[in-house]
Parts: sequence; C-alpha cells; structure tokens
Amino acid sequence: MWRVLWTLVARAARGPRSPRSCTRQGSGAPAPGSGATIFALSSGQGRCGIAVIRTSGPSSGHALRSLTAPRDLPPARSACLRLLSHPRSGEPLDHALVLWFPGPQSFTGEDCAEFHVHGGPAVVSGVLQALETEAQRRQALRQLDGELGHLCHGWAKTLTKALAHVEAYIDFGEDDNLEEGVLEQADSQVRELELALSAHLRDARRGQRLRSGAHVVVAGPPNAGKSSLVNVLSRKPVSIVSPEPGTTRDVLETPVDLAGFPALLSDTAGLREGVGPVEQEGVRRARERLEQADLILAVLDASDLGSPSSCNFLDTVVAPPGAGSPSENSRRLLLVLNKSDLLPPGGPDPRPDLPPHLLLSCLTGEGLDGLLEALRKELAEVCGDPSTGPPLLTRARHQHHLQGCLDALRHYKQTKDLALAAEALRLARGHLGRITGGGGTEEVLDIIFRDFCVGK
Amino acid sequence: MFSLRGCGLCVAASLSKKHLPLARFIGDSAAPVAANFDVVVIGGGHAGAEAAAAAARCGSRTLLLTHRVDTIGQMSCNPSFGGIGKGHLMREVDALDGLCSRICDQSGVHYKVLNRRKGPAVWGLRAQIDRKLYKQNMQKEILNTPLLTVQEGAVEDLVLTEPEPEHTGKCRVSGVVLGPTFVPTFLSSHSQFSSLQALRASYFILIADGSTVHAESVVLTTGTFLRGVIVIGLETHPAGRLGDQPSIGLAQTLEKLGFVVGRLKTGTPPRIAKESVNFSILNKQTPDNPSIPFSFINETVWIKPEDQLPCYLTHTNPRVDEIVLENLHLNSHIKETTRGPRYCPSIESKVLRFPNRLHQVWLEPEGMDSDLIYPQGLSVTLPAELQEKMITCIKGLEKAKMIQPGYGVQYDYLDPRQITPSLETHLVQRLFFAGQINGTTGYEEAAAQGVIAGINASLRVKRKPPFVVSRTEGYIGVLIDDLTTLGTNEPYRMFTSRAEFRLSLRPDNADSRLTFRGYKEVGCVSQQRYERASWMKSSLEEGISVLKSIEFSSSKWKKLIPEASISIGKSLPLRALDVLKYEEVDMKLLAKAIPEPLKKYIKCRELAERLKIEATYESVLFHQQQQINEVQQDEALQLPKDLDYLTLRDVSLSYEVREKLHFSRPETIGAASRIPGVTPAAIINLLRFVKTTQQRQMAMNELPKANQSLCDTESLEERQL
Repeated sequence: MWRVLWTLVARAARGPRSPRSCTRQGSGAPAPGSGATIFALSSGQGRCGIAVIRTSGPSSGHALRSLTAPRDLPPARSACLRLLSHPRSGEPLDHALVLWFPGPQSFTGEDCAEFHVHGGPAVVSGVLQALETEAQRRQALRQLDGELGHLCHGWAKTLTKALAHVEAYIDFGEDDNLEEGVLEQADSQVRELELALSAHLRDARRGQRLRSGAHVVVAGPPNAGKSSLVNVLSRKPVSIVSPEPGTTRDVLETPVDLAGFPALLSDTAGLREGVGPVEQEGVRRARERLEQADLILAVLDASDLGSPSSCNFLDTVVAPPGAGSPSENSRRLLLVLNKSDLLPPGGPDPRPDLPPHLLLSCLTGEGLDGLLEALRKELAEVCGDPSTGPPLLTRARHQHHLQGCLDALRHYKQTKDLALAAEALRLARGHLGRITGGGGTEEVLDIIFRDFCVGK
Repeated sequence: MFSLRGCGLCVAASLSKKHLPLARFIGDSAAPVAANFDVVVIGGGHAGAEAAAAAARCGSRTLLLTHRVDTIGQMSCNPSFGGIGKGHLMREVDALDGLCSRICDQSGVHYKVLNRRKGPAVWGLRAQIDRKLYKQNMQKEILNTPLLTVQEGAVEDLVLTEPEPEHTGKCRVSGVVLGPTFVPTFLSSHSQFSSLQALRASYFILIADGSTVHAESVVLTTGTFLRGVIVIGLETHPAGRLGDQPSIGLAQTLEKLGFVVGRLKTGTPPRIAKESVNFSILNKQTPDNPSIPFSFINETVWIKPEDQLPCYLTHTNPRVDEIVLENLHLNSHIKETTRGPRYCPSIESKVLRFPNRLHQVWLEPEGMDSDLIYPQGLSVTLPAELQEKMITCIKGLEKAKMIQPGYGVQYDYLDPRQITPSLETHLVQRLFFAGQINGTTGYEEAAAQGVIAGINASLRVKRKPPFVVSRTEGYIGVLIDDLTTLGTNEPYRMFTSRAEFRLSLRPDNADSRLTFRGYKEVGCVSQQRYERASWMKSSLEEGISVLKSIEFSSSKWKKLIPEASISIGKSLPLRALDVLKYEEVDMKLLAKAIPEPLKKYIKCRELAERLKIEATYESVLFHQQQQINEVQQDEALQLPKDLDYLTLRDVSLSYEVREKLHFSRPETIGAASRIPGVTPAAIINLLRFVKTTQQRQMAMNELPKANQSLCDTESLEERQL
C-alpha cells in the first residue's frame, strides 16, 4: 500500500511524465515537519559486519511493514528477526533484525524504524533502494548542492538553452526572423555537453568504486618489489586484509581496506617484452589491467633506475607519450621507488626527468606512512570522500540519470527531422530535471522570448 | 485626427442583409421571435461562430446573438489562418467538424505549409485568406446551419436562477437580457476605405432593448469587447474593435458575480494601399504547389496554385527605431506597459527590447480583389501621422499610402482558472466562456475553444457528461489545460513547444485522435466525415501491418531501392516499415520496388503520406505512448467537484495550497499536480482523501443497487467520481 501510494503520488507530483514536465507543477520541498519520511544509513560507510538503516517519519510503519510483508509490525522497541524483501519485486534482500519505535517515544519523536542488516554493500544498497521513494528522491535531489550540484545546474542551464533555441527554431524559424546560426550554436552546445557528461561519467564510476572497491594495480619491471609491496600493504596493521574466502576473483587480486577505502589490489606480472608464450600472456593481462586501473602503483627498484627495463617502464607506463591527452587525464599513478635501503646516503641516482615519486623500503618499512597518506588522498579522489560528497545513493541515481541524459543526447542530430531531434533534447532535459528540477515549458518559453524577437 | 466612434471596419461589406435567408435571421426591426433556446451564444467572432455551429450540430436549438450579423466571420486582425501550432489547432477543430478549416479551404489566396523540412510533427498548415470571401463563406455556413438562429443584439445582463443542487456553483444562468444597441447603418453596399474621410461617417439605428431570451446554457464569446478601449497615440476610445461598441454592462455583471477580471492588450498594424507599394524591389514568396487543404474532408482547395497571390518580405531599418524611440511620449499604449507579454507583439516592443536590429515585415494580401496590404510585424500604436512617416522609411514602402492606422486594444479578460476543462464557469452553472475572454489571442485558439464550449453547452442541456480533450489527446487539450490550471497573464498563443507529446499530436492524425470521440460521445461529427476517418484508420492499420510483414535482407533492399542509404552490413532482415523510415524513401518508391501488395496504398496521396509519417515516428511513438498512459492514469483520478478546499478538515493542506486549489478547482489529480505551488505532499494527502471517498461512495452505492429505479443518470455520474 505504502509503495503503491508513493508511486502514484510521485507520478502525480511530476505531472505529465514528459521529459520537460518537472517544473510544470513547480512545487517546492514539503515544509519541515509536514510529514515527510526520511531514511538513511546510520552506521559508517564501507565494509562492516552489521549496518544500521534508520527511518523517521509517519511512513516509517508502512515502510517497515512493506519490507517485512506479510508479517505485521513487531512489538514496539524489541528486536525481531525478519526476512526483508523488496516490496514490489518480492526479491529477498536480507535476514535482518528490525526494531519499531512508535512516536513520540523515539529518538526523533516521530515514528522510527531500524533495520540491522548484514553490512555487505549489496545488501545495504538493496535495502536503501527498496526504501527509497520517488518523492523522497526528489527531495534528496532538491537538496543537492556542492560541486556536483553546481555541475548539474550548469549542464541543465546549457541544455535548457539549447532546447529553447531548437524549440524557437521550430516554432518561429519561418515566421519570424531568428538570427543566423541558431541551430548550429545549439548543435555545438549539445556536442560540448555530451563531452562533458561522458567525461564526468567516466570519472563518476567513483560511487561504484566506493561500493565494490577501487582497482589498485601494482605494476613495475620484474624484481622491482611489487609482490613485497602487496604483502606489506595487505599485512600492515592499519589495513585490514579481507579474511573472506572466495571474494578474491583472481589469485593475484586481494580485497583490502586502504586507509578506510575498499580497494582491490592486483599484482601484475613484471612488464617486459619477449620470452615465452606464458609470460607474454601474463604481460598482456598486466597491460589490460593497467588500462582498467583506477590507480596504478608503479614500482621501480630505486637502486636500478638506469637499467633498460626500468627505463622502458618509465617511458611506456609512468610517462607514456600520450599522457597529456584527455583520455589519459583520469588515470592516476603513484610512482614508488622501492628498495630505498639499498641506496647510498645521498639518495637515488639523480635523474632530472624523474616524475614526482615516493621513496619506500618494503624491507625496513621506511616511507610506508608517506605512501599510505598518498594512497588515502588518491583514493579519496577516486572513490569520492563520503564525508564531503553527496550520499552514495543519490550518486547512483545521478549516475543513472546522467547516463540517460547522455544516451538521449547521442540521439540528437541523428536525424534531419527536427521534431525528433528536439524530442531527444527534451528527453535529455527530463533526465537532468530529475536531478535539478526545472526545464519546463514556461522556462523554455522565457528563454525563447528573452533571446529572440518573436511574436506579432 | 481620426474620429473613431463608430467607424465601421466592414472594409468591404460582404452580405447586405436582404440576401440573408429570413427564416434564419431575425433582423433589426423584428422583435425576438422564439425567446426560448437550448443554447445561446453571445458574440459572432471566431469562438462564437464555432460554438454556435457546434451546439447546433449536437442537436441543440441554438441562438447566436451578435452586435452585427455582417461581422460574423470577420477577421479583425491578420488576413491569415494557421501556422505552426495554430495549424495543429485547426486540424483538431476540423476533426470535430468545426468550420474554420473548411471555410479556409474555400477562401484562401496563398496556401503554404511551414516547417516542411523540420518533420511532419511540426508542419504548420497556413494560408493567406481573402477577408471578404471568408466572411461570405462563413456567413453562408452559419446561416444555413440547421437549428441555428442568428439575431442582432447586445447582451446587457444575464438572467440568473437558483443553482442545481447536484452541481457546484452559486447560481445558474437561465437566459440573457438584451440591452439597447446602436448599430451603424451601412455606408454603402461596397463601402471601401478609399479615403480617410470615410472613417468619419457614422449613423446608428436602435434595434432592440430590454427583452429577455431564455436559455438552458449560455456561451460567452465577447472577444475584446468587455470594456474594450482602442488606443492610437494618446487618444483612447471605448470600442471592442475599430467601429464597434464595447460591452460595459456585461463586464459589470460578471464582476458583480465575483469573477476575477484582468486586463490585456493587443494591437493591429496599419493597412497600406496595394498600388502604392513597390513590390519589384522586395523578396517574393510564392505559395506551395500543390496546395495542402486544411480540412480532412477536402482533397484540394478552391483555387489553383498558379492563380494564388504572392507575399513579399521587407525589413525595418534604424530610421524606424528612431521614429519609435523619439515618440514614446506620444504612445500611451506603450507607456502604460505594466506587465507586457514576454513576446513582442508590436514594433515598439521589438525596438525597445531588441534595439539595433532589422525586423521582418511581411506584406500580405488582404484578398483577391482587395486594394489593401497587411504589413505583418508592424503592429503599432503611434499617432497616425507618425505611423505613416514610419512606414515610408521602409524599403518598398517609400511611397506607401496608409489607408487605416494601426491601433491597440485594451480589454478585460476573466482569469481562466475560473472555468473547468469543459469551459463552464465554476461560479455560474451552465455559463461557458470561450475565446479572448479567457485570455487567449488568435483566431485558431478562439475557434478551438468555441467548438469545445458549444459542444459542452449542448451536452449540459442534455444532462450528458462533459466532453474534455486531454493534453495527451490534442493541442486543444494543451490549450485548455494550460488555461484552466495555470491561468495566463499575457495573451496566450499556441506553440508546439507547449505540447509534451508533440510527436503524437500531429496535424496528420487529428482525425484519429478526435473524430471518433466527436462522433460517438457527442454527435457533433457528420456521417460523411466519420466514414472517411474510419476508412483512413483501417487503411492505415492494414498498411502498417503489411509493411511490417514484408522482410528482406539489407542487401536485397539495397538492390530493390538503390536510392536508399541502407548499410548492407546488417545481418538481421529489414521490414519494409524500417526501410520507409529512411528520409529518401517514400511509399511511391517502395511501391515501385514491390508493387504487390503495396501499390494500392499509393492511390490516395494522404494515405501514402500518413504511412510514411507513421513509419518515421514508429519507435519514438512507442515510448511516448507509455508516458501518455501514465499521465492518463493520473487524469483518471478525479477529485470531487464540490470539494470545499478552504474548510476541508480531513486533508492536511497548507493554507496557500488550499487557496490555489480553491481557485483553480482541478478536476483530476493530474491537473492538481500541474498547479504551481501545490506540493507533492499535498498531492499525497489529496490522493489519500480521494481513495477513502471512493471507498465510502462504493459502500454507499451498494444500497440502492437493489432498487434500480433510483439509479438515474445523475447518481451514475456521481459514482464515476
């Protein structure tokens, strides 16, 4: 009932489910205390044994009942074991302890519910998604601020303008005089937006990384100390080696928690050309993994920087010729010079062209703190910092709609039929509208009448 | 200066009264004969004519009351019909068997479809119309419509009685009181404005006073006549249109009843003597060949393309800007701009808002044998001498003679949130509004509302449920939903950008969207039109399924139709319908390649074209249909009509939301959700309320089931809530 009700409401609240319809109803967020039900993950981010999800608000009871159907509400303030399943699909989510705190005897004074679920990211996100209603999404999205908010609003503005100009070209292009090049300008704006969105989406795999772990690849020429580094990183007390069997999909891939961030640490075969077919296959895989890596830990033997294999590695992996190109922009790399204990007291051989690097001795542990700090910084960038960024769930939705927006934009201009092309823009704007709101008919008309002298 | 009082605008008086069939027309000397009608329509403009004809088509005895019979079908502003968005409305009016499209097919002098290269969903059927012919043909049509009587007269007041208890509204209209009316006599049977002197002549005779006409429903289409004021320079004159008296008594009546009144302004350009224009140095625009008719039931228009008239294009220049800017102090229409429309209706607003630009001026013919040119884009309210000065600094118009000055009109409109989607007012039962009174501009917007108001006025008399077009079904629905839920504070004009489901609501398929409903639910559609639409529908369905059934490999298609840019790499077989999607492929080409069974589909030009259009949009339409279904679900959730939002205690709503709902009185959850300021939380609460009300109603309805005689139409209607 709860789910159905909310779905209906959300649909009604959106008005005609057209891509542009979001502002038609122009409603603001419900006033505080006006009966909205909120929910959130109350325990910390990341991997843990048990995660606690709390809801607060008048719909908490409905929510609890709909997730634990067909069972009734548990007795107040006592923990009960329940099978949680998705209210719509019926798909089982988790066996969880649930608690029911009817208001006003609750933390917030409103009706509250708690779900103590197993802490795997899949379970947590499954329950959160089941809880999430369209209306709440809208509200969460309305509160969108920060960097991503700025970005989305900027894109929405560009897209609305492009849409308005195409609409103007359709509605007034033949009767009134629009300036030359209106359509061409819209075209180039759409192209730019497409590039910006796809760059962001490439980058915005971060949310996913936070759930499933960032790919950290250790690479380097043979005998640089890659495996030692992996061992050090996975044995270091501050990092926790996952004891779960079977989670390692590859013998060389170890799930670890690096400075609070989940990561998949991969050891690769030493990169060198030639030799036997088996090793060649290993090298091919290593290169493939490098391409998929979120972060590369490039390891060199500090005492052996002049060797051909080190030089080759530096030229091809650490500073490849195309490194400045946009496609390489998102690649992150930390250069680690291992075996610092073998160096003479004056430091490594002076190589003026050597990029920024960290010195480390896997043997003595010297430089490890510096490396961990550097890793933390990099991973915060890669995964997004949960303490400052928007919540994980919203980000998944953002990604979904940004992807939808991008897909729609790609349909623009595939056809000469301008009505079809405009439809692609409307659809794209609709996706952005689910994040930022706006983009309705009146907004489009405002832009048309602001930018063009039309009307008779 | 011009004397504006009573300067009749009958540029070429079309029908002298003695030609009118007497049985239909109650002349100026006769007292009202039968003072009892089902539907009385007040106003003979584009909304009024359509409303009266539609009510009569539905079988209601209808009276059309107008100041002057000879202004029925008058095009007071531009000599053209249709365009982008407006052409869509005309096709829908035609699908309901309205008049304007058919009349245009008999009266045009230059037919041109706009947006030809931009896709069939946004094609804009448009034509320059001969004013005189249009008026003649419209009057002929109106005066020959069975059940429709026309009477000259001005309405001074409404007769009001007790409300029907089963409907909302504080009273019910049951007739109209005719006021004393002065109409100008005709200057001569063909009084053309050969000189400005003619404008000064004015003679009036008294025609009717004080009598009452009883009506079951009343449709008000008073255009710009409610407290209309004409403005030229600093002079203002009360008038609904140049030469016609405004309606003041009626405006007061409506205000007393509690209607919220607003004020809008519009304008019209000066008229120029055709022979004084130097066309040879201007860009010429020729009409389409062949001409595409507006009406579904016409294959051709009345005139051959080679006999049609051209239009010409010229532009303003910096000198025009100077004249406008230097004389703003002489321009009260512009000075008074408190809240002007966002778009630029006049040359003054163009110059002020977009300075240092050249603006287009289209020189349009006013008719086959008219001596006048209408300079579209030059709407202006400067003093007349300055208008002429401005005109003559435009290329091609250096020696132009101004025959009639441009002028502005300011008039009352009633906030359209006070009417339902059937165009009946919330306040007064059986009173309907259509046209400019609702804040719209344009002949087509007026005609569209006229048809709907006429149909619903008739249905109301017959105690049948209203006929509402959803915004998922037509531009008419978009127009009325926008007006009734959002209101307007500028003259509302239709654009295709207003329609969410633009790819579904196309000019080509208006018949399949509305004709069947009009025929089955209302009876406003002729048998002939219904049969034509049915044939087209079944032919289209058959054609599409045949096109889906023909499948070949892409290489075979490439051989069959080398013109098509089919990529051969695809391994999957292609349907003929997919091949038809290619821009360079049409049904003719397909039928040439595969004569059997396709050749029969190219015999009818319209059918072949519509198959091509269906193919073009096939994949997108599938998704759009899903969205349409979702919207329609919301619209199926009806809100009780008698809900008192201000005092309703069962629903938690903020006072602001209550006021908004109280004012707009949305009929469905869908409409409520489109009202700005109504929050999602409010919608939830309303929804919950509707559900419980429904359940309660269902339980109550269980009881009378045993006694079938109690189930009359009214209670059935209630149960549908």
